[in-house]
Amino acid sequence: MSLRNAVAHRNLLYLLTLKELRTRYRRSVLGWAWTLLNPVIQMLVFSFVFLVAFRQEPPVGNPSGLQSFPLYFLCGLLPFQFFSISVTASLASVSSNSSLITKVAFPHEHLALSVVGAQLMTFLIELGVLAVALLVAGQMVLPWLLPMLPLIALLTLFTIGVALAVSAANVFFHDVTHLWGIVAQVLFYATPIIWVPETIDVRILDTLSDWHPTGSFIRASQQMLYGGHFPSIWRWMHLTGVAAISFSVGAWIFGRLSPRFAEEL
Amino acid sequence: MVDLAAPRPSGLDPALSVRNVRKTFRIHTDKASSIKGFLAGGGRNRSREFTALDDVSFDVEVGEAVGIIGHNGSGKSTLLKCMAKILTPNEGEVLVTKRMAALLELGAGFHPELTGRDNVFLNASILGMPRREIEQRFDDIVDFSGLHEFIDAPVKTYSSGMYVRLGFAVAINVDPELLLIDEVLAVGDITFQQKCMEKFVEYRDEGRTLVLVTHDSGSVRHFCDRAIWLDHGKVMADGQPAEVIDEYNEKMLGGEAAGDGSGGIRRGSGEITVERVELLVDGQPAAAVRSGGDLVVRMNFTTTERVPNPVFAIRLSSLVGVEVTAPSTRDVDQVAEYVEGSGWVDVRFSNLPLVPGPYVVHTEVTGYGRKHIYDHIQNAQSFDVVAGNTPETEGLVTMRPSWSIEGTGVGPPLRHP
Repeated sequence: MSLRNAVAHRNLLYLLTLKELRTRYRRSVLGWAWTLLNPVIQMLVFSFVFLVAFRQEPPVGNPSGLQSFPLYFLCGLLPFQFFSISVTASLASVSSNSSLITKVAFPHEHLALSVVGAQLMTFLIELGVLAVALLVAGQMVLPWLLPMLPLIALLTLFTIGVALAVSAANVFFHDVTHLWGIVAQVLFYATPIIWVPETIDVRILDTLSDWHPTGSFIRASQQMLYGGHFPSIWRWMHLTGVAAISFSVGAWIFGRLSPRFAEEL
Repeated sequence: MVDLAAPRPSGLDPALSVRNVRKTFRIHTDKASSIKGFLAGGGRNRSREFTALDDVSFDVEVGEAVGIIGHNGSGKSTLLKCMAKILTPNEGEVLVTKRMAALLELGAGFHPELTGRDNVFLNASILGMPRREIEQRFDDIVDFSGLHEFIDAPVKTYSSGMYVRLGFAVAINVDPELLLIDEVLAVGDITFQQKCMEKFVEYRDEGRTLVLVTHDSGSVRHFCDRAIWLDHGKVMADGQPAEVIDEYNEKMLGGEAAGDGSGGIRRGSGEITVERVELLVDGQPAAAVRSGGDLVVRMNFTTTERVPNPVFAIRLSSLVGVEVTAPSTRDVDQVAEYVEGSGWVDVRFSNLPLVPGPYVVHTEVTGYGRKHIYDHIQNAQSFDVVAGNTPETEGLVTMRPSWSIEGTGVGPPLRHP
């Protein structure tokens, strides 16, 4: 991706993102309420499973002392969903715009980037609501919102990388769509969202989730929002590395494939 | 009236430079769009290669209006897309030094749920216009489209004509120094087409560079000061429009007829139908005829039952729909008492008084009262009239006038070099 090109067309990125946001809930009665309704309903379902069906003890925030499974769940789910929904939505972002790609020359990256941008907006709104809920529950989360910003930035870079790679690959191999459905499912369970690393008996899952990208991001998010402590320097380095690799590999793949989009579509 | 044939100043650096461009496409015989298929095929898709452009080179100077002509499949659309940077050539390069806009499709990327206003901003931005400039030109865009009342309605409520008008208004206000035009002008109503054409002429006369890609040699003849003829991906001729187009038409004249007469829009009750419309020159099917030559329009018909006194008629019009003539068998008392089975009707024109350009034949079979329509084909067949025994280039019909000039101070006739 030529970064200069993308910057020169930032207005296009802004307008495409706006289009995503404006058209997302057209012709739906609840409209933007869906943005919040979806995580809330998931929270209710998984809280029931965790607390009632499996009779698990909610994790205790260290040092926050917070003890609430629904809040723990949301601290992990929201960043995870930002990533997974962005990637799902970006899959078709290039191939569904074939009429545009075959008729106009413009930076194709923006098709995928605008999808991530729109999801980022949604994520920030959700995060705002979560922060209010945490405050109500007695967790002074406000100071932690500041170090959340670099985490969100890194997560966005990581997401953009994956989104660019899959949206480009999906033009040539539709398998990517189906493959992603499974990968997203596996990642969801391999990431400590509905389970707690400290109390899980499966050591390998604990170790794995410490290192694989979404596990690492979600742990950092939980540590700050739920636990109220700053992630280790190693965590930050890991996340920076993951984001940098994902972004550069994704951009490279997209850059290699995008000149062939118009022919393939 | 804008003078279409004004000479162009020529600049120094080429506005557009096409250098040894080669573009091949793989035609997938067994497309591997799954990873398994890709791996099973040894990493290669089973396909054969098709060369759309073969070593094409030319420069377009600043201020030139260049027409690129060729029949369907000649590679002209591929060339246009390479010039517009939509496709990447396999070899060679396209250099653009001017701010370019390509009109390949009007309103490409309009989102039906968004309002006209939002779409103007989005579309202009896709075409590469900075935000500030869109804001400045927004009123001009709306003025040009004539859609003031509808600009805040979602474009899904627009008619196709309104859609195209808004698309064109945006595209033309990108204010390009180099404009690539596809055959988009074939859409919209005649008034709007006229408006588009005037805008192009205005652009050309302002010294901007235009490249028009079309199979309509008539508009190239009238509008451009240079023509490039492309055939099977190769440049066959490059030069003065009149010469290139005549050469092009000469080839078409020798080749098979362009259409089969089934491309038009048909209506009518169908007891008698025109199966095929042929254009014959010297008894041979042709797609072009010389001005002043002889032309036969043959309508091959079949009937489903015995039809009493049917009237056969044709209408001849220019490509944009100006009717030139509309003769029928009733005018000359040649109506058969009945027609049954199949056969053909010939309309013979001798010493064809048409000015070179593109023309269209429409056919009609009606009852004797001309009210009941058995069969009507709009755009049954199109053909080109090429340079013949008239030197005229404007208008549609030549009346072969003679001229004289007299006065107290009139010099002798100018001798052409």
